Amino acid sequence: MPNVGAELASVPFGKMIYDMASAIARSQVALDKASIELVKVLANTTFDYVPDVVETLLPNPRVINGPNGSPLLDSNQNPVTVTGVLVQTSVGDSFPLTLLQAGVNPTFYAFTNSTIEVKMSISSTQESSNTFSAGTSMTASADFLFASGSVSSHVNFTASNKYSYSVTGSSSMSTTLAPVPPPKNMMPRFFLVNAIDPTKITVSQS
Amino acid sequence: MYMVAFNGEFSQAASRAVQHHVRKCNGFTLMVMKTGIIAAFDDSLVPIVQSHPNVKLVGGVTLNPKGYAAERLQRIFSENLSKQLEVKGE
Repeated sequence: MPNVGAELASVPFGKMIYDMASAIARSQVALDKASIELVKVLANTTFDYVPDVVETLLPNPRVINGPNGSPLLDSNQNPVTVTGVLVQTSVGDSFPLTLLQAGVNPTFYAFTNSTIEVKMSISSTQESSNTFSAGTSMTASADFLFASGSVSSHVNFTASNKYSYSVTGSSSMSTTLAPVPPPKNMMPRFFLVNAIDPTKITVSQS
Repeated sequence: MYMVAFNGEFSQAASRAVQHHVRKCNGFTLMVMKTGIIAAFDDSLVPIVQSHPNVKLVGGVTLNPKGYAAERLQRIFSENLSKQLEVKGE
């Protein structure tokens, strides 16, 4: 009779866990490398950033002309003037800004939860049957000079044993990959030096 | 939102090819730069976008609201997105 406990003990849990952990570790390294590569791309991608645009509204009075092209006059024979407006635009000098400085951060991923599930079904059936039959037959005959007789007997014995044993198993592995904030060691620090007051230095990190 | 980095030197043809590829994947181009584009598409389509010969790298990115130009980038993204949505609706 097979031992169910021995069957369960033969499941290579240790190897399965090791294989899964090893695969996760390799995947994590590959993901981190891809994210670090992305940090480099973002740090080297620049666009021209215009820090400010100043618009100044200036008065711009002008005389309105009539249908014949001459200035339009009011009831006091003074030319009609309207207070126009002139927009003076001053665009600040643009400077290159990297996507990282601008606020585009790379996404890092981490495996947060991993599950190994092993399902095993063991079934064992045993069936035995015995049949026994016995019989005796006797014949006798008598004549003038002879007499005869016979006795016969039979014994039938049948024994059958049916035995079945099956083990079915399945295993599944699942893991959860979640985006996480960039690790500080992998992100550059930004030093903002105020040239007006060089003692004021602001350090920030994404 | 993904950063799709170009393979090799910048060229208009390569940039357009990648943008068309993203469009075919039902994605949207949010911003175009010389090194790549920032695009929005379904997560499951990353391998397909990555498979384009002009694409070097596809990586997920997020917009940090504390970034120096985060608000401006957000405006640029939304403007570009709205133009593409209008085209798609015709």
